Formats: sequence, structure tokens, C-alpha cells
Amino acid sequence: MHERALLDRIGLSPRWRKMLRDAGLHKARTLLVIVAVATGMIGAGALLDAWALVERATAESFLGSHPPSATLRVDKLDAERLAQVRALPAVGAARVRGRAFGAIEVGGKRFTAELFALGDVAARDIGAVYSERGAWPPRDGEIAIEKSSFDYAGAELGATAQMQLGANPAGTLRISGIAHDVGLPPGWMDHVVYGFVTPATLASLGAAPVPNELQFVVRDARADRDAVRRIAYDVKALLERNGAQVTNVDVPVPGKHPHAAQMDSLMLTQGAFGALTLLVASFLIVNLISAILAGQTREIAVMKALGAGAGQIAVMYFMFALLLGLLASAISIPVAIAIGRPYAALKADMLNFSVAGIAIPWWVIALQLLVGCLLPVLAAAWPVARAARLRISVALRDAGIAAENGAWLRRRFALPGVSRPLLLSIGNAFRRRQRTLLTLLALAAGGAVFIGASNLRHSVLASVEQMFANQRYDVLLRLADAQPAATLEAVAAQLDGVARAQAFATDSATVLHADGTPGNAFTLIGVAPDTPLLQLDLAQGRWLEAGDRNVLVVSQQLARDEPQLRPGADATLTIGGRTARWHVVGADRTVVQMVAYAPFAALTQLHGDERVATLAVALKPGNAATRLETILRLRAALEQHGMPVAGSQLMSETRRSIEDHLLMVVQFLGAMAWVMIAVGGMGLASTMSLAVLERTREIGVMRALGARHGAIMRMIQAEGIVIVVLAWLVSLPLSAPMSVGLAVAFGKVMFAVPAQPLPNAAAALGWLLLVVVVSLLACAWPGWRAMRVPTARALSYE
Amino acid sequence: MTLLSNPPAATQDDVIALRAIGKTYASPAGAFHALSAVDLSIRRGEFVAVVGQSGSGKSTLLNLLAGIDRPSSGQIHVDGQALHALPEKALSAWRGRAVGIVFQFFQLLPTLTAAENVMLPMDFGKRWPARERRPRALELLARLGVAEQADKLPGALSGGQQQRVAVARALANAPALLLADEPTGNLDSHTAQGLLALLGELVREGQTIVMVTHEHAAIRHATRVITLADGRIVGGAETAHA
Repeated sequence: MHERALLDRIGLSPRWRKMLRDAGLHKARTLLVIVAVATGMIGAGALLDAWALVERATAESFLGSHPPSATLRVDKLDAERLAQVRALPAVGAARVRGRAFGAIEVGGKRFTAELFALGDVAARDIGAVYSERGAWPPRDGEIAIEKSSFDYAGAELGATAQMQLGANPAGTLRISGIAHDVGLPPGWMDHVVYGFVTPATLASLGAAPVPNELQFVVRDARADRDAVRRIAYDVKALLERNGAQVTNVDVPVPGKHPHAAQMDSLMLTQGAFGALTLLVASFLIVNLISAILAGQTREIAVMKALGAGAGQIAVMYFMFALLLGLLASAISIPVAIAIGRPYAALKADMLNFSVAGIAIPWWVIALQLLVGCLLPVLAAAWPVARAARLRISVALRDAGIAAENGAWLRRRFALPGVSRPLLLSIGNAFRRRQRTLLTLLALAAGGAVFIGASNLRHSVLASVEQMFANQRYDVLLRLADAQPAATLEAVAAQLDGVARAQAFATDSATVLHADGTPGNAFTLIGVAPDTPLLQLDLAQGRWLEAGDRNVLVVSQQLARDEPQLRPGADATLTIGGRTARWHVVGADRTVVQMVAYAPFAALTQLHGDERVATLAVALKPGNAATRLETILRLRAALEQHGMPVAGSQLMSETRRSIEDHLLMVVQFLGAMAWVMIAVGGMGLASTMSLAVLERTREIGVMRALGARHGAIMRMIQAEGIVIVVLAWLVSLPLSAPMSVGLAVAFGKVMFAVPAQPLPNAAAALGWLLLVVVVSLLACAWPGWRAMRVPTARALSYE
Repeated sequence: MTLLSNPPAATQDDVIALRAIGKTYASPAGAFHALSAVDLSIRRGEFVAVVGQSGSGKSTLLNLLAGIDRPSSGQIHVDGQALHALPEKALSAWRGRAVGIVFQFFQLLPTLTAAENVMLPMDFGKRWPARERRPRALELLARLGVAEQADKLPGALSGGQQQRVAVARALANAPALLLADEPTGNLDSHTAQGLLALLGELVREGQTIVMVTHEHAAIRHATRVITLADGRIVGGAETAHA
């Protein structure tokens, strides 16, 4: 006997041999539980791996690049002013750069572009930019495209691109390399092509020949945002004392990537689902260990009669649970790494990082192993403790599964038309109440997340619908230079295909805080109060009215960032270097950008004339090609009138892009529902397998009484259906808090959406259908096994 | 060779001493007195058969002697140990050391071979070093005539062979007392006779055996017969001969 020889050689004592062989006795069932536990752990482990990788990448890539503590937009910068800033004790490092917006044409396609001309490309102490491929730094007449924009633009190294800044003539640039700036948001996400050029190239394209941005890193790495902001305004004051004009000061949250909070929230939410999946998986362990203990009640009594103490018995079964955990961990840890790494790469890509070459920390693997081993032991604690304390005399008399447990239910459902086999199935489902309850809860939890994710999807789509329903224009044209509003509107109105056109005045504004520090810049949009192109959905207050002067309607995002901009409050805004008091009259609930709306007249009065650079256009109905053709004709018409267009933004494209981003987050959240459903389905298969095994003799009796294979299979399938239908019913009320929780989580990750606690009918029916299919699949194997056992053997089964 | 590597000393001391033992169970119909005021002494080397009608208290008495159950009243001393005062943990250790039990349905663990079944009490009791356990198990199986079945699973053995393995297992820790609950109840008469002869041999080697039975053939092998009726000893309470 090879096995015995091996066990003899390793000196395994009889009790451990027993545990090993018992596990092998029901290989399929044990394997199912291992796979289920592993599945739950893969979900949670992959998230943990991804989180750890992104955290490490953040530390190594983002923080390692020394992201600027502040960026100041300045009209003129030179070496002397830079030296003065560098000499400030609070400033650790500083640099200047030229920055310009325009359009780039690559391979016949036109994209919005943002160009940077760094003073010192080799600098590593502030906003380091690295070469990914090709030549670095770019020479005059060349452009290095940021890696997150490269594929988006369909660029190729060595190819040429046409670059145009505003109304200046386009210039040809050779694409010489791919650069990586981790401080930039991903170009593919923002639909912008970021490029790096020399100052001379930028000047050749028509930009000012001097740098227009100053960036610095504070010396004190622990400085908070307010402290950095104070330093930034010291720098601003210094520059202004020396004759420069600072038009904008941007201070991001120190040490945090701009998207880090969203990513953390997403990871945290998914982590919570990972924990829930582990809990569901632990239900399976409770069921398996309980079933094993129930089946071995007499054996436990015999072992106790032979001198085994309660502790020795408990240790045997805890070790069995530990073995399950070890095997599940052996599967889950490598698979979680295999899933977690690409998932981390995706997340990192959204932050414009890379996780390549970054290892998962050892403690993350150790934690997974620890959880993997402890979870089954903890789950087994209660059934094992109960079995270990069982009195020998009682255990020796154990008669196995009790029929009475399901009898009350059979009696309750004994209605005319309900067949005897169906009554039996209903009753059978409750003969092991604890097991049924745990299986039911596992499936219900999966269902609740499934319905919750579907509700969230509906909420998000409805919110986007509402958002774009409020913006009743189809395209926003950005003019190369400010033009008279009336002329712009007149030219557009004459064009066939244009339903309505209205000029919007735009500017950048900052809130001046009570302590004298300004907040971050936001966009102020001046619109006619009676504009038909904007119909905002207000959460509070009112919309702009004729006769309003310095009043604002703020977006929810801005109100969240600047809490003092609440309806009814007054705030001091700095716009174009001038400071004035403004009154907030309303807050919108749908706009996700940092914007505020003001009366058109108030803003143009501030500018000194009615020249604007933005035109909102509503098109007449037509197909996509017709509408695009109208936009091209409009651009040509404006150009003919000496008003060249620098860029256009199609609302349909913007909407698709926003929907894609939002739904991706919904899918990330909803993915855990599938993991939980898979674990729940395996739980049901395990439960039904145990139920069939325990009732082998009963099934034998039924077959001896003439029950055919089909009847036995139907009975087992009906029992499964009873459990899943109950799980479905339980999942409906459970989905309400789940939907609210998901909406809150989504609000933290992206933007606030109204929670939809009531399950939508399609999702509820879809879940019912899905869970029935899961039941049919889960019960097929136990049913098939029940049919295969010969009647004689089934009758003698103990 | 003797069956017992460490046989109890052949003294005239009592192995079992029961004083005013009562055992009462609660039932829906009220308290059920399984044993009432039982006084009993059994000396070393006795082969005692306990007989009586179903429900007379035979199994309850055996459970009390094995430390599986506790008396509701009275005192019980087995091999010098006051079982009524022993905590549960100590009782398990004592049971493994001092008592061997043979069940009617053998109760061999189905996933362990015959030898491993015999090694199991040694594994729990740790009375023998690990390296000595298998040789001792094989020795016991050989003495009981089932050495060739040592590496077979119980399912591959006949009823008689299984019961012999069960006896070997009961003797694994060289207990002072061997308790047998209807040991021949599930065997054919020929096999039963063989087993009873074996138990008789053990007694001659100094082993104390208490056997619950209802079979006359089994009773003939006993050195003393105790009759129970309605939870009381109605015959054989006193030792007939040493």
C-alpha cells in the first residue's frame, strides 16, 4: 500500500491519517468548497494586490517625480525672477515652463493639444519628466508626446504632426519620442494630446517667447494645503513686486495625485465587497464542516470513548479547516496576483502611472495567506466547538438528519394542487435549517449586490441624461481670440443647420478666503439669464434673473470644494486680478465640473467689452454626418469673418466619454456581484450535494417504492429552486441598503447620484432568471450522483 | 505470549466499586430512573456478565463504568479513581488509560486500517512512544488472529474479524478494565464462540471484563453474572468466587 508506506515514512499518526482520508472520501465536495473559498479570496486578494501595487507606484512614480506643490500662471518670467523664487527659504525647488493650448493633427485626425516647453528638461527635483521611447529631450521642430496620449492620438515615432496654437498658422513637428509625466492626468481619459517641445518650438508656433508658468516644490514635505497656499501667495507677491502679473494660482492637495482620492474610494468600496465575499465563502466552510461533523457524530463519540479529549477532537477538525484554507490559498494567491497585477495596471493607467517592475509587498501575500488559513478555522470554530463538547452517550445514539425539521413547512404548503413530491422538496430544503439559511444568505448577498449595481447603473445613466438634458446645445466652439458676441451669434444664426447660437463669456476665478488666501481656480461662465441653451436642475436657490449683477449659480462640485459658496452666502472672487463681492443665489445638482454661472452682462462689464471666446450652438435635427458637416461649415464661416476657431467640443462625444468613464466605475463595483454569485452558486451545489448524501437511504427507499430517475432529479432540482427563490425574495429588501451604499460609494468616487433603493423590475427579474439557472446547474451534479447509486446500496447507506 | 503487555497485578483489590449509584434522566413523561441505589464491587480478573431485559439499565451501568456518563447520585470508583469527582478533561485522559471498550457494532473508523484503528487510542493516550505503536498494534492483532488483516480497511473485513480488531483496539492502552457492550450481538454463533473464548483467555491472563449481553452462550463464559431489573441489581451483586 503505497499511501500507507508514505504516511508511515512521514510518521503521520492515525488521527491525521483519518482526517486526510475523510477529506479524500468526498473529493468533489471538498474541492468545491476549496474552489469557493479560493474564489472569494481571489476577489479580495486581487483587490488587495492591486491596491498595494497602486500605493507603491504612487510612492515610487508620483511622489518620486517630486510633483509641484503649486503652479502660478505669470505673464512674464525670466531667470532673475526664477532665482528670486528659488532663494525663498520655504521653496525647495522651482522651475519655469511655457504652456500653450491648441490643436494637433496626427494622421489626418485633429485633437485638442496642450504643449509644454520645460526650461530644464533634466531637472529631477521638481515634476520630473522621463523618456519612455525615442529621443529625449526633443530638439527644435520636434515633439515628444506624453505616453498616455500617444496611442490615443494614433501617433507613430518619426511621423509628423500639424500643430496649431489659436489662430496662428500651423507648424509641422516631427514626433521624436514618447515622454512620461506622472503629474499629468491621462491624455486618453481627458481626450487631450500632451506634448513636450523646446521653448524655441513653442515660440515658432506663435506662443509668447517667454515662460508663462512657475512651479515650485515647498521645502517642508509635511506642509498642508493651506500652508502651501500661503507660500504660493508669498511667491505671487514677490513676483508682482517685481513687475509680473500672476493670473492664476493652483495648489493641489500635497502628496496626493489628483485622482488618488477617487481611486482610494473605489478600492475601499471594492475592498468592502471583497470582505463580504469572504464572509459568504466562510458560510460554505461552516456548512461543510458542520456536515462533516454531523456525518461523523458517532465516530467522534467512539474516539472520545477511546480516550480522545474534547481539545484533541477540536484540533483535528481545526487542522482540517486549516488544510482547506492552505489549499484555497495555494490556488487563490497566484491567481489573485495574476488578476491583481493587470487590474493595478489599469488603475495605474487611469492615474498615468505604471506598475511595471513594481513588486507586490511581501506583507500583502502574507496577509492573504494568514486570512486564507484563519478564515476557515474561524468559520469552523462554532460547529467544531459544538461537536467537541457533544456527550458520548448522546452521540453514540445519533440518528442523523431529522425529518421533523421540515415538517412544519410541508404542512403549511399542503394546499390543493401542490404535489406530494413538491411538498417533500419544500420540506427537505429546511431539514438542515442552519445550512439552508447560510446558503440562502450567501446567494441573497450576491443578488443584493447584483440588483444594487443595476440600480446604480440606472441612476448614473439617468444623471448623465439629466446633465446633458440641461445643456441644450450640441457643440461648444472655442475661438482662437475673443470676438464680439453679437457678431459671433449673427454669423452662426445665418447658417443653415444651426437652430440657435449663443455666446458664453468665460473666465477663471478664485475665491478669496477669510484668511486672505485664495482657493483653487474655477471656470466662471457668463450666460444670458434667459438663455434657452441652459436649463439647470437646481438643488437649492434659484437661476439667474434679468437685472442680476454680481450673482452666481454654482455647480455641486464647486460647492463641495468651496463650502463657503453656498446659496445665500456672499463671497469675494478674484477675476482677472480684480476682486469683487459676489452673491450665491443657487446651486445646481447635475454639473460635475468646477464651474459657476454668472450673468453675461456682469462678466462682460468686468472684461470691459462684449468680446467672448466661446460660442454654444444648438443644431437642427439630422444625422451625425449632417451635423458634423454643419459644424465644419460654421467653422469655415467664422474663419471667413476673421474669427478662427481653435477647437470644438461635441456634446455627444463628451457624453459618450463621460458615460464610458462612469460606467467603467459601475462595472468595477458590479464585478464583485459576479464573484459573490459564483461563490453562492458553489455554496448551493455543496449544500445540495450534502443534502443528497445525507438522504441516500431515503432516496433508495423512494426508488424501491417506484420513483423513477426523473422524479428523483426533479425533486432535487425543486429543492434547489425553493432555496434560490427564497434567496431571491431576501435579496430584494437587502438590495435597498446595498443600492444606497453603492450610490454613496459612487458619489465619493465620481459625483453624487440619487440613490435608487427600490429594485428595478428588469434587474429583479434578471436576477431571478440567473439564480434559477445557477440552481439548475448547481443541483445537476448532486442529482446525477443520486441517480447513479444502486438502490440496494442506497438502502444500506448509513 | 500474553495478550497484555502490561497486565494489571492479580490482586484481590476491587477494580470497580459502586456505592448507592443512581441515574435519572429527564423525559417529557417525567423523571426516568435508569439506575437506583446500585452497590457493586468487581475484583481484578473477574469476567462479569451483566444481563437484564431491555431498559433494565445495563447500558447505563456500562456507560457509568466507562466514564461516558455521570451518576446522578452515589460514588463510583474504577481502578482506584473516583469518577464521580473527575472533571471532563481528566475523565477523557483516564478513559484512554484505564478502560477499553468493545461496541456491539464494532465502531471501527472506516477510513483507518485495522492496525491504524488499534493505534488510534495509543495516539490519543500517548502511553506508548510513537515508534512503538505500530509494532504493538501488530502484536495485538496477531494475538487476536487477525494479523493478516492489519493493513485492510474495516469494510474489507468480516464481522468476526472486525470485532477482533475492536477487541485489539480496546486493549491498545493495556486498560485495567475491558467493557464490552453486546460484543457478540452482531456475530454468527460460531464467530461469537471464538470471540468469547478469546475474552475468557484474556481473563485468565488477569484482565477484568464487564460484558453486557443477553445471550446464554455468552453468559456461560462469565465468572459472575449480574442481573438488572428496573434499574436495580436483582442478582449477582456479590462476588461469587475470586
